[in-house]
Amino acid sequence: MMKDQFVQTSRLFSFSLKRDWLKIFAWLLGLVSLVAIGIVAYVELYSDAGEREMMAMIMTNPAMEALLGPMIGFDNYTIGAMYSHTMTIIALCLFAIMSILLVVSNTKVDEEEGILELLRSFPIGRLSHTTVSLLLLILTNVLIGGVSAAILYVFGDQSISLEGALLTGAIYGMIGIFFGAVALLMGQFTTSSRNTMMISFGLLGVSYILRTIGDSGYEWLSWLSPLGLLYRTEPFVENNWWPLFLLGFVTILVLIFAFFLQQKRDMGAGLFPEKAGKRQASSFLKTPTGLALHLLKTTLIVWTVAMLLLGITYGSVIGDVEGLIGDNEVIEQIIGATAGMDMAEQFLGMIIGLLSIFATIPVLQTFLSLKGEETKGRTEKTLTGVYSRTNILFTFLGLSLLTSLMMQFAQLLAIGGAAAAMDFDFSMQNILKAGTAYFPAIWFSLGIVVLLYGWLPKLTSVAWGYLGFAFIVLYFADFIDLPAWAQTLSVFHHTPQLPQDDFSWQVALVTTGLALGLMFLGLIGFKRRDMTD
Amino acid sequence: MTKVLEINDVTKKFGDFKALDKISFSLNKGEVLGFIGPNGAGKSTTIRILLGLLQANAGTAQIFGEDVWGDAVSIHERVAYVPGDVNLWPNLTGGEIIDLFLSFRGATVDEARKEELIRRFDFDPTKKARAYSKGNRQKVALIAAFAADADLYLLDEPTSGLDPLQERVFQECVEEAKERGASILLSSHILSEVERLCDQVAIIRQGEIVEFGSLEEMRHLTRTQITLKTTENLSQLSEQSWAHDVAYEQDEVVFQLDSEHMNDLLSFLQPYHVIKFESAPPKLEDLFMRHYEAEEGVK
Repeated sequence: MMKDQFVQTSRLFSFSLKRDWLKIFAWLLGLVSLVAIGIVAYVELYSDAGEREMMAMIMTNPAMEALLGPMIGFDNYTIGAMYSHTMTIIALCLFAIMSILLVVSNTKVDEEEGILELLRSFPIGRLSHTTVSLLLLILTNVLIGGVSAAILYVFGDQSISLEGALLTGAIYGMIGIFFGAVALLMGQFTTSSRNTMMISFGLLGVSYILRTIGDSGYEWLSWLSPLGLLYRTEPFVENNWWPLFLLGFVTILVLIFAFFLQQKRDMGAGLFPEKAGKRQASSFLKTPTGLALHLLKTTLIVWTVAMLLLGITYGSVIGDVEGLIGDNEVIEQIIGATAGMDMAEQFLGMIIGLLSIFATIPVLQTFLSLKGEETKGRTEKTLTGVYSRTNILFTFLGLSLLTSLMMQFAQLLAIGGAAAAMDFDFSMQNILKAGTAYFPAIWFSLGIVVLLYGWLPKLTSVAWGYLGFAFIVLYFADFIDLPAWAQTLSVFHHTPQLPQDDFSWQVALVTTGLALGLMFLGLIGFKRRDMTD
Repeated sequence: MTKVLEINDVTKKFGDFKALDKISFSLNKGEVLGFIGPNGAGKSTTIRILLGLLQANAGTAQIFGEDVWGDAVSIHERVAYVPGDVNLWPNLTGGEIIDLFLSFRGATVDEARKEELIRRFDFDPTKKARAYSKGNRQKVALIAAFAADADLYLLDEPTSGLDPLQERVFQECVEEAKERGASILLSSHILSEVERLCDQVAIIRQGEIVEFGSLEEMRHLTRTQITLKTTENLSQLSEQSWAHDVAYEQDEVVFQLDSEHMNDLLSFLQPYHVIKFESAPPKLEDLFMRHYEAEEGVK
């Protein structure tokens, strides 16, 4: 009987693999390239031991530890140590994100649910579909871990030991499997793919915040977070394997629970039944704005909370930062400082920049919900009604712009509020100015999405790629010498980082002008093209 | 008569909502059972329970003598299912999906039969699934089902997107399956389809089986509604055995006619001067209403 649960898993697996291999390969390529870029750049730039010693001293401050994790291998800051110290957390987050997306698209996505009914009418085990998703998850993560380890070992210097490289690959793979398992489990409780994703990402966010707060003072918190836990394997330095095994054990428990629930529950149901809703549509709901807001309500609330939490987390850390260590070329390299600038402000500038990019995500999501409506065939109903295409586009565009204001101010106020609570000497006004400088860049990104949606709606995902690219440029540009052309392409790079850079009206106006131009072109395209469904 | 499918006192609740309340019916080997009822009555829920997708809260359901939830896999080797709403993988072609479905059944594929069905249903298997209309998506499921040599067919409103020509092909396929010795459960709104194909009928309403028996026994399902207007008085109509529920409204007469007695009606009308003669097949909802009103009247 137990064996019955898995009938035809292998056939289903080979089918799913054939279907998804390109998607998996693309993710693999992207993530592994980052690993490659990281290690190659480090080996090239930091081959001098003296320079690395300086780096180690600079990195040993609460701000850096909050961002990257506690200092590793201070006494012997090799390339390996530096890599583990600076790259681990961000890599873990990215690998976790990929795995969550992978699992949700293989299990919960609506079409899967529709197809699942037919599949289950065949002589296929009740657990086969879930097992296949798990196998794909494991396969992908093993590949990523393995290739990452290989790249590190091949391109690294002598400090990149085989054991360290394998451990690094292993933790990258493990975090993916863990969060993929979490997504699988969350899927047992919710009825939609969107909720599963939100909860899973929410848990990742909580892990990150716990780790951040923990690493800025309360270490035990960091141990509670899977990110913090795996960080403490310290590849190339201590090479602790046991945190990996501990997380592996927890993952197995999560999986057992998920499979147990899967076997028991009705198909298509979450464990919490749907609640009844309103009987009538309010008059507000009947307008495009009202409908859009209703659709986006949860997303906006969740993101605002996320921005607030992140702002608070970083803001409370800034207060601990000590003064500058001294004018030094190496320091310039790290935080792009010009001589004599306050390091805290540098850090603040970078955080605001990163969070601004992060804040762009819900802005794009808000606008792209219009696309979601179209692909599900629901725009037809709205567009054959009283509201023109222009009206509808403007509605969602307006909401996106409002979202940008909301998210940005949420993070800025949170940073300021938390820093104030920690007695950090700063000016709220400066923080707001610094953040406001990013609006043109955010709107420009939105403009790209509107343009794509108007002319090439199938390619709107490219916008996410652009955002990811901008993020990499900002995060790494000061660690690694990225070529100038790459930096120029990112609109966020052009934004002056206040207060050290001066606010540039020129940049702001040109960027905003370009943004408006893109949006206008997008509107034209939207008005003339066919509605796809 | 071996029972291929048997449901006994099955109850299913979703939270507080009782979708099925102690339903019972059965299907004999080689028969076609029509499963009809208004929207939301519980037809799809019942079929999902039979497929082992949902678990009943109470009662038993068996196919080929095995429990539908616990022995789902071995049952499904001999069952073919066509859902009312067919969702497919958008990037595969129809032909690829049909082959995929057939391969999941594990048995060897009868290529000749498959190709013949593709031809009969006038289906283009080379298009990608995302380009198919609803009717074509349904054809994918239908072809995959009938190309297989199943012992039991579970069909949930399988023809809702098909044009009348394809509807005819579908009915032929059902007849052929029956001749092969298969049994069929057909859930449908299309009364003519049910009348033509089914040996037995189960009617479900708000989660309860209100009628279960052979079509012969439920003759009244095949009554036709007649509206008549004549210059003369039609009081004699109510005395006729083939005229039921005769109602005189203003200057018209509305009644239910046993369909096989149409000629008797025409003979009866010979001496009259007929101004208006309307004949309409009974709507499913009306049938239920009349069925219940009659029952309550008797009580």
